[in-house]
Parts: sequence; C-alpha cells; structure tokens
Amino acid sequence: MAESATAAAKKKSSLDKLGGQKFIVLLVIIGLAVFFSVMSPNFRKYTTLVSILDYSYYIVLMSIGVTFPLITGGVDLSIGTGLICYSLVGGYLITFFHFPVWAGMLVSVLFGTAIGCLNGCLVALMDIPPFLVTLCTCMITRGLGATIVGGFGITWPTAAQPGGWFRNIFKISLDARTKIPIGILWVLILVAVMSFVLNHTKVGRYTISIGSNKEAARLSGVNVKAYHVLAYVISGTFAGLAAVAYSAVFSTVQPGTGAGFELEAIGGAIIGGVSASGGAGSVTGSLLGVFVICLLKTGLPFIGLQANWQQIITGLVLIGAVLIDVIKRRREEK
Amino acid sequence: MGEVILTMKGIDKTFPGVHALDHVDLEVRRGEVHALMGENGAGKSTLMKVLTGIYTKDAGTITYEGREVEFHSAREAQDAGVVIVHQELNMLGHLTVAQNIFIGREFKKGIRIDDKKMNEEAKKLFDRLHIDIDPMETMSNLTVGKQQMCEIAKAISHEAKVIIFDEPSAALTEAEIEELFKIIRDLRKQQLGIVYISHRMDEIKVITDRVTVMRDGTYVGTLITNECTKNDIINMMVGRVIYEEPKTHSMVPKDAPVVLKVEGLNAGKMVQNVSFELRRGEILGFSGLMGAGRTETARAIFGADPKQSGTIYVNGEKVTISNPEDAVKHGIGYLSEDRKRYGIVVQKTVAENTTLATLKEYLNGIFINKRRENQVTQKYIDSLATKTPGTDQLVVNLSGGNQQKVVIAKWLTRNSDILIFDEPTRGIDVGAKNEIYKLMNKLASEGKSIIMISSEMTEILRMSDRIIVMCEGRITGELDIAEATQENIMNLATREIS
Amino acid sequence: MRKKLMATLMGAVMAVTMLGAVASAEEVTANGDYTFEIIVKSYQSSYWQAAVKGIDSEKEALGVTANSTGPNAESDIADQVQMLRDAIAKKPDGIGLAACDQEAVLDPLQEAMDAGIPVVLFDSGVPDAPEGSVYSTIATDNYGAGETAAENLYAGLKDKIAAAEGVVRIGEVNQEATSESITSRGLGFIDKFTELATADGKSVAVIGNEYYVSNCKDAGDEAAADIIIEVAVPAQTTVELCATEASNILNKEDLIGIFGSNQVAAEGILTANGNLGVLGCDPETTVLAAGFDAGSTIKGAIADGTLYGAVTQSPLAMGITTVDVLTKIANGEEVEDVPTEGYWYNAENMESDEIAPNLYD
Repeated sequence: MAESATAAAKKKSSLDKLGGQKFIVLLVIIGLAVFFSVMSPNFRKYTTLVSILDYSYYIVLMSIGVTFPLITGGVDLSIGTGLICYSLVGGYLITFFHFPVWAGMLVSVLFGTAIGCLNGCLVALMDIPPFLVTLCTCMITRGLGATIVGGFGITWPTAAQPGGWFRNIFKISLDARTKIPIGILWVLILVAVMSFVLNHTKVGRYTISIGSNKEAARLSGVNVKAYHVLAYVISGTFAGLAAVAYSAVFSTVQPGTGAGFELEAIGGAIIGGVSASGGAGSVTGSLLGVFVICLLKTGLPFIGLQANWQQIITGLVLIGAVLIDVIKRRREEK
Repeated sequence: MGEVILTMKGIDKTFPGVHALDHVDLEVRRGEVHALMGENGAGKSTLMKVLTGIYTKDAGTITYEGREVEFHSAREAQDAGVVIVHQELNMLGHLTVAQNIFIGREFKKGIRIDDKKMNEEAKKLFDRLHIDIDPMETMSNLTVGKQQMCEIAKAISHEAKVIIFDEPSAALTEAEIEELFKIIRDLRKQQLGIVYISHRMDEIKVITDRVTVMRDGTYVGTLITNECTKNDIINMMVGRVIYEEPKTHSMVPKDAPVVLKVEGLNAGKMVQNVSFELRRGEILGFSGLMGAGRTETARAIFGADPKQSGTIYVNGEKVTISNPEDAVKHGIGYLSEDRKRYGIVVQKTVAENTTLATLKEYLNGIFINKRRENQVTQKYIDSLATKTPGTDQLVVNLSGGNQQKVVIAKWLTRNSDILIFDEPTRGIDVGAKNEIYKLMNKLASEGKSIIMISSEMTEILRMSDRIIVMCEGRITGELDIAEATQENIMNLATREIS
Repeated sequence: MRKKLMATLMGAVMAVTMLGAVASAEEVTANGDYTFEIIVKSYQSSYWQAAVKGIDSEKEALGVTANSTGPNAESDIADQVQMLRDAIAKKPDGIGLAACDQEAVLDPLQEAMDAGIPVVLFDSGVPDAPEGSVYSTIATDNYGAGETAAENLYAGLKDKIAAAEGVVRIGEVNQEATSESITSRGLGFIDKFTELATADGKSVAVIGNEYYVSNCKDAGDEAAADIIIEVAVPAQTTVELCATEASNILNKEDLIGIFGSNQVAAEGILTANGNLGVLGCDPETTVLAAGFDAGSTIKGAIADGTLYGAVTQSPLAMGITTVDVLTKIANGEEVEDVPTEGYWYNAENMESDEIAPNLYD
C-alpha cells in the first residue's frame, strides 16, 4: 500500500510543482515577448505595452468569468456578443437618456449578470446543454443590443466630454504621450479575488465538483443547481465588466459585432490550462493564456505579417494548447 | 449484537406501473452486519433510497433510535447518522482526498475554506480506520480500492450510526476486499449498524451476521447467517436457480482447431510478450489480480489500443488488426468490462442497441426496417432470456444482467466466432449471473470460442476449460481446469518476476 | 500660422464645391404639381434627418410635394417594407427609397413597377432589383471620396514632402479587403495620392496588404521610392485589431500622414494615438491623419486638432439630388445613376451649414 502512495507522489514531476501548464505558458509569453522585441524595435516601446494592455482588459475579464462555466464542464458562448449588447445598452442610456456614466456602467454589468442568470437557469435548472443555451443567448444578445439602440453605433463619452472620467479607470494620462495603464492593477486584483474564490471558497470548490462529478457532489448534499447557475452568473457579470472595459478603451461600439470575442477568451482559458472537459483550471492560468493571444495579436502585425498569416498562426497556437491538454490527460489515464 | 437501532416496517412504494416495494420489513441492530440480498430489481436499492430520503414511501414506518422518522433528503439522513456508501464510486477525481471527504460541509474560516483543518481531520479519520492514505493526494491518483476506503471514511465522518454498503466489493481485488472487511469488523466493534448489499455469496458468509432476502419487491425472510447454508439463501432469493456445475475437466476435444493464435504481443507496460492459443469451442479463462494486464491484452488484440509488436493468426491465417473494425471483420467480438462506457448506448432502445453494429442489414433504401429489426431483437431477447418489457425499452432502464445480455446479442448479430468477455458478471446478481454462465456454455458448445477475463476466482474455476494467469503484464502460467486450484492460480498471479 | 491659412483655404474650396452642387440643382424645374413619397432608413437618426432636410429644402425650391418617412431603426426591415407598400398604394409620381434590406424590398419594387411608379434609390443600391423598376441610384462615389481624402491630405503635406530628404511614409488603415465600398475608398486614396506626388516629381511605392497592392494603379518599387504608402488590414474587422495595425504604423519614424477609410478604421487610428500621441495638424512636428464618416469621437478629434480632417458622405446632398432626379423623371427626362461626392471637413468648416447637418453623432 505504501508503495503505491510513493508511486503516486512520484508522478508529480518537477514541472507540476512549478505550476505545470501555467509555467509553460509563462515561458511562452516570455519567449514571444523576446521574439517580437528582437524582430521589431517599435514593439519594444512602452507605448506598445500600454496598447497591448489596453486591448487585453476586456478579453481578460471575459476569460476570468468564462473560466467558471468551463470548469463545470460547460461553456458560455454568449459573452462576446453579450459584451457588445451590454455596452450598447449602457452607452445608449448615457447618450440618449442622460444617465450618469456610473449608472450606465452599472446597467452594463447588471445586464450581464441577468443574461448570465438566464444562461445558468436554462443550463442548470432546465438541463439544456450549455453549448445550445449560450449559442441561443449569443444570438439573442446580438439582436437585442442592435434593436434597443436602433441599429446605430453608440459612443460612450469621450475623454474630453463630461463623463469621460470613466476612461481614466483603465488609463491615467499624465500628458499626451505618457500614460499609466492603471487598468492592469484592477484586472490583477480581480484575478486575485476570483482565484481566491475558485481555490478557497465553497463557490469555487463546488464549481470544480460540478465539472468533476456532478452527481457525486449532489449526493454529498451540495446544492448543485444553485452553484451551477452561479457559474454562469459569474461569467455573465464579468462579460458586463468586460463591456465597461471595452467601452472605456474604444470609442464607438458597433451593433452586430462581438461574435468571436468569446473565442479569444475561451481560447485563452484553455491555453492557460482549463480542461476542455471540465474539473480543472485556474483563473491565473486563464489570465496568462489570454496574454499569449494578445501578444500574438499585437506582435504579428508588428513583425509585418499580413492578416491571413496572423489568423493561421493564432489558430496553430490554440491547437497546440489543446493538444497539451489532451496529451496530459492521456498520460494521466495511463 | 446490541439493541435495535433501525426498523423499517411495512414499507410500500409504487412507481407508475411498478409496485417496487410491497410491505417490506428490515431490522438492523447496533454492532451487526446485516446483509440485504436479492436479485437486481428485487427492490434493495429502492428500499435504501426510501430510507435515506431520496424516495418518499407510500406507506409503512421507519423507526430510528427509538423515534419514528422520515428523512426528506440524503443530507437530512446523513445529518441524523444514516449514510450510504454508493455502489458507483461517487468521487470527485479532480479534488483531493480530504476535499472529497468533506464536500458539502467544508470547514471554514470566514469565507475561506480551511483546507488545512480538513486535511488534519481526514488524517485522524484514516488513523481511526487504520488506513494509510495521504489526505492531500488527488483522488483520481488513487486505486479503486483506496477510493472506496475514502468513501467509507467519508461515511464515518458523518458520525454515522448506520452505514449502508451498496455492493462495496464489486470493483475491489481480493486483497482490497480483505482490507475492507477489516474496516467493517472494526466498525461493528464500534457498535455501528451496518447494512451490506452484495451478490457475492462467499462474502455474505464471511462478513455478515444476519441476512434479509428480498424478491420482486417483497420481503422473503431474515436468517442468521451462521445457521443457514448458501443454498438456503439462494433458494430464498430466486426460488429456482441452481448454479451451473463447475467444470472438472476441459470440454474441448483434443483435436479442436486453433481459431486464434497470438504470438509475442507487446503493447505498453501492461502487455509484454504475450503468446497463447484459443481453440474452437473453448472457454479460456484469463485470471490475475487487478492491473495484471488482462484487459490491456484483450484491447490490444481487439485493436482498441495500439500494439508495438506481435502477430495474430485467426483460423491459421495471419491477420492485421489495427483497429476494432479490423477485429470485427475477422469475427472477434469484445464485451467491455465497463458496459456503460463502451458496450451499449444506454439512452437507446434494446432494438437499436442490438442492431447497432449490423444496421446495414435492416435498411430498405434509407429507411430502417423496424419490423425486421424488432423480429431479430425479439429472437435474441427470447434466446438469451433478456428481461425487458419490449424491444423498444430504453436500455438504461434494464438491470445490469439484462444490459449485458443486450451487449451479447449485439455481438451475436455480427456472427462473431471469437468472443472476449471482460468481467462478464460484474455488478450482476446471482440469478442473472447464472444465466450468463449458461449462455456462455451454450455458445461454446455451439462452436464459439470465448476468452473470459474474470477477477472472481470461483467464476474462473467454474467456467474455464483452460486458464491463463497473468501478472504485471506477462503470462505467468497456463493451467488445465483439471489441475487448477485457487492456490496454484494465486501463486501464479502473485509470482515475482525477476 | 500657415496651417490655419491652409485650413481656411480648404474651407473656401469646399464652400465653392457645395455651391456648385446647389447651382447644378437649380437647373431642374418642375413641369407640374408632382407628389413624391420618400422613405429613408431610419427617421430618427441625425444622419437621415440630414437627408430629410435636403429633401425638404429642395421640394420647396422646386414647388413639388415630397412626403418623407422611415422606420424607427435601420433594423426594422418589415416596417420599412410596409411603408413602401403604403407609398405604392398612394400612387405618387415617384418613390425615393433608401433600402434597409436589399432582399426584402424586391417584391415591393416589382409591385411599384407593375403600378407604373418610378423608383429612385439613394444611399444604398439594390443589386437584384427587378429590371426596369429602378430608374436611378444615387449613392456616394466611394472611389471619389477616397480621392478627396488624398487631395486634402496631400495638400497639407505637400511642402513637407517636397522638403523631405529621405523616404517618407503614408499609412492607410482599411477595416477589410472584401467590402466594395471600403476597398474603393482605399484604392481611390492610394491612386490619387500617387498621382499628385508623381506630378510633383516624387516616386511612390505601395506596400502591405496584398489586395490593395495588387489592385492599385501603380504599386511602384519600394527600394527606389521617395514615398511609401503602407496599407494595413486587420486579421479581423474588430476595432482593437484596427488599433493594433494603426499603432504599428504610427510607431514608424518616417510616417507623415495616415488615412482611415471608414469610421472603425479612423477610430482605430485615434485609439492607437491615445497611447502614442503623435497626431496633430502641424505637418512639421506631427503626423496628419484623415478619417472617414463622423461620429462623436471623430468630430471631437477634429475639433481638438488631433485629426487633420475627414471625408463625410452627404445625406443632405443625397436628399436634394433625390428630389431633383424624381422631378426629372416626372418631367419625362432621361436620368442616369448619380454618384454623390464625399465632402472634406475639418475644424474650420465643420460647424458650417453645408457640412454640419451631414455629421451625425
């Protein structure tokens, strides 16, 4: 008996002690950053770093949220079009109904929470496959956003306009050329909080349990349905936060867009080690995974690669990440 | 045996169309191991579900610790001290042992889960049970046996007074079962009331004090284990079944042709240099401990897993089998040990499962000829005595033994001449087991050749014409049934390989 | 100071162009008391309100009746189709239509033709319209609009280019390489800029996205060029990828001007500039950027001098032209498709009566 215990301990390689896949992803990030810096002098600039961060916030936020449904073994495809919908609605209220900006932001986030709740109820209470449910809400939010605002692009207040203060939440401008990407601080805090939630609270423990063996969790007296709904509520709420981040960084929000954002967030989470079949994953991993995608998105144009090649390479990296997951699981099964 | 802790009296439960429990009684005392026996479908699980609040009873009383009770959920029963160790292991593979034990009632510091305290408490529990498991180990890294220990530890950690074991030994090796019995005796000494559901007659004699037998949802009777024989119990359970006689010598003619020959098969660590022959009409038993490489050998032959080297001859001809499709083409059928994962599509009907592999034969153009499909299915239902309301019943609603028969039917429709049965009677009750045995003997006498992988020694000795014993991926011996005994098989199965 | 002067001059040029357009409109006279039904894409948006304004002013000038209407939102396709049917039922002398959906209006167009009512499309064409139902299509000449951007940007950079010692770079960000309207603008800009620079004795090379390089008139030779036009198209049509492509170009030391060929691309350039701060209106110290369309972000950037200027389509002129063309048809005159110009606007003229109504928020 004692032998098998040590054998099991041996299976944990030195790599696992360093954080396993996360460590590899970190190395990939460093590798990519070094590679792009060597290839393009402009990439080395501080402003490029600020840009990468600017364009990463909304994906990171979506990815933090979607990590939870993914760990339950589900998925949330509605976050991308949802983000645009929430942003459109918030911006619409600010522009046309003169809501204060903070109220618009709140509406965006709460709208996300509501759609997340709808997703969760359909998945957990009605037992409809998550793929189906969120595909439907993906379509619904896409149409809903456009309908509410009447089919037009919505611009949240620009930095110079009254109410433009909210753009400083994510970036403080010292002067025209010096910016402090303060958003990364909030993102890191949220990552820390949700990481704590996932690893050290009931919410997280039961999220993992649902992905690992839902029936077992239920028989252990866990209110599985409530926590299953909650996973989607978290995902929706973070899509709402992502909507705020998106509105703060970019100018006009165009209705009908947003499809595809979710793939970057989900892709990032999977690169970061969230198991495609549920039960395993981490918020920090998702954060790192998203940065791989963001680095590629920014770096590839900087080294002069044209559009089609950018997509091919990003796709290859994603396949690589999924393969790592598959190979890892296969090795575990042996 | 101490005072009565739990009494169930006149329990009645009806589901639409089924009278599942018809005035069933059960009495459990402190410090006793009480066996609950009956064929699958006899109502044991339903009775336990009524007890633990998963089902609501229609009539009858439950008295626990002197008070009449009615639990409304598994949680409520747990809190009162009535816990069930499920047949299907209910573990969360991604969590640690301690996290599994305390799932649903974690220790907390503020909103933070106190994993440290949970590990300490788990360690204390294991110490009390004399089990050596690291609470911080990830559950999926443990052997099935140890996972079961964790389930038991979890049950006990609820301050249980009554523990129900639902077929705890089904997935355990002999050694692990010994370990389990030690724990159960320990619990008995601590004056817990234990309900032990099992199909294994040998175990019942070894571990239990009293036996309550159920049949078709009714209470048949309660016996004191020491004062009855196996046959008494069996007769109460089925009223009709007598086991197939054990073989004393091989039924295969000396000159029967070799239908399958495997030479120098290598597939990973679990299959090393495996060579053997299978004759026409033979039942070749594969014995060995869990993890000896028997299933892996079968899967490699069947093409389900890749092989590194080795040659396979079917009817004297060298064949290449690189995937299951090839194997099927050469008349090899494989009945997996894990029916639910590999054998059947549980959400489909009996007919759909039966004809799954040979659907082409039932097509009129693009339409499936339902009538013919049903005829053929009915034929196999009759010849295998499958208990099902009809061909359109969903397989998920059948008992384990009948599911197994559907799988067999599926392979018979393909005219497979070589059948590999991997643990054919796992999780199947006595009556159904015997039917499967009969069926295998019948198939062999009709000229089919069978490889039977089994961890049950009695099964191996009862059914095989010849026995191959494996240990750590190698064949360590081959015995004719005439010379085989439990002892010499065990010797080979545990032989050190230098 | 020279910048100011230049801008004023440009404003003057624009005013003249506008007057020209109005002047040509005055050649039309109505030979009867005509009634037209005109349906825009959305009655509420400021863009379409500008079109209605043009319609109203021209109907008064010509003394005809033109009833304009439209659904609440561009996505209310069914509403618009119903309005179109109502218009046909009124048997007007002509119908003007800015179709929300190219497919949904096919049947009503057939009905209009059967009822003998001529239809004029404006803003957007309907490629599959029944033969003979549409008498004229009035839409922005995107290639010409790209040329307008090139002319104005070149005028701002002319001295800088003439004085340049090494290679200078002009950037162009296009949201995509498939939509006809966007590629036309992009190519119009490249071709016009090349033409103007070549006339001044400079050689030009076009690099970057394969579509634009191979479809422009002369891609030149990068090694020998005085001016390089670098064309970027993002991998996906999202604003942050437009911004990334724009950052990449804005980071280049030899960049003197940049053009974003639609609202998303122009806003991408502005987003990228948010971190880089290289844009402005002084060609000596900053990069001049030209945008397209309007929206509060672009308008704000032009007002505060970040954006040198932008090209707007003119719903106002489209409204005027629509009434003109309908009147001509009613007169029995032959009409053809009418391309409308893109109009250059900058800090100087954006508040003017000719331009302001065209600039939606």
